[in-house]
Amino acid sequence: MKTEKSQILDKLGKDSGFKVPEGFFEQFNQQLIDSLPDVQITDVDEKPSMWVRVRPYLYMAATFAGIWAMMNVFNHFNGTTDQTMRMNEIAAGISQDNNADELIMSGVASDYDILTYEDSVNNDIANEVEPELPNN
Amino acid sequence: MARTTYDETAIIEQLHHQNTARAAFSQVIEHYSSTLYWQIRRMVIDHDDASDVLQNTFIKAWTSIDHFRGDAKLSTWLYKIAINESITFINKKKAQNNISLDDDDTFLTNSLESDEWFDGDQAQVLLQQAIATLPEKQRLVFNMRYYDEMKYEDMSEILNTSVGALKASYHHAVKKIEAFFAEHD
Repeated sequence: MKTEKSQILDKLGKDSGFKVPEGFFEQFNQQLIDSLPDVQITDVDEKPSMWVRVRPYLYMAATFAGIWAMMNVFNHFNGTTDQTMRMNEIAAGISQDNNADELIMSGVASDYDILTYEDSVNNDIANEVEPELPNN
Repeated sequence: MARTTYDETAIIEQLHHQNTARAAFSQVIEHYSSTLYWQIRRMVIDHDDASDVLQNTFIKAWTSIDHFRGDAKLSTWLYKIAINESITFINKKKAQNNISLDDDDTFLTNSLESDEWFDGDQAQVLLQQAIATLPEKQRLVFNMRYYDEMKYEDMSEILNTSVGALKASYHHAVKKIEAFFAEHD
């Protein structure tokens, strides 16, 4: 590192000529220590309270509960729940019948499977209650 | 008198607890009062003023000790407070003496020769007058480097200035002091 050189400063040296009274620092330190006001210090390793620790989880739970409640309210006013259930039933029926037909036609199902399926269909038909016709 | 060994890491830890902070800060005062006093004294020149500013520095540090988290060095933090307090004091004194804030600080050296706590010769009076003509930041850099022989890296942390800029600042300060001597000697 390049050191700044000055003939004048070299000649003067580092003594500034400033002085302090004898025992100044000892006296100053003691007077200052004795007169320090009271201060409130927050201990850095102070354990956080139960509320502080639980708070984030409560906020998260409240958020999810809010979203769930909003979805329910939204579905209630739009009638989405009943409509969705009906659509699911129809879709399940179509799917089941289509699957059976496809299995029978492709020859994957054995004779026993076909007989069992036909029995179950016949039972369903037999158990159905015939609607009463109005008397004229 | 046997002195307690100063362990800064332990002191900083103790400063963060209510029941140990006061004793720890007492050690801080004993450890840094002399260093900070001389830094302040070279800025404000007068002994009584330096004593007042030093007291304000420690009181300010103590009352805001809760904000000191130990991210910076304790010495850096204290130096910063001392410098701020010194500059605030000089500006107040300028206002009291109807001196513009833009003017240099040579008024501080007016009564230097009659000062009870100054026993320098004519050349030392001239040096203090020359230093007082420097802008405040240059004065700080010159004093820290010339008298305290502080490393530029440490100075950089205290003054928030790059090492390169500090070296340039010190170079300019020396040139100005030499020019002042050439003019007045």
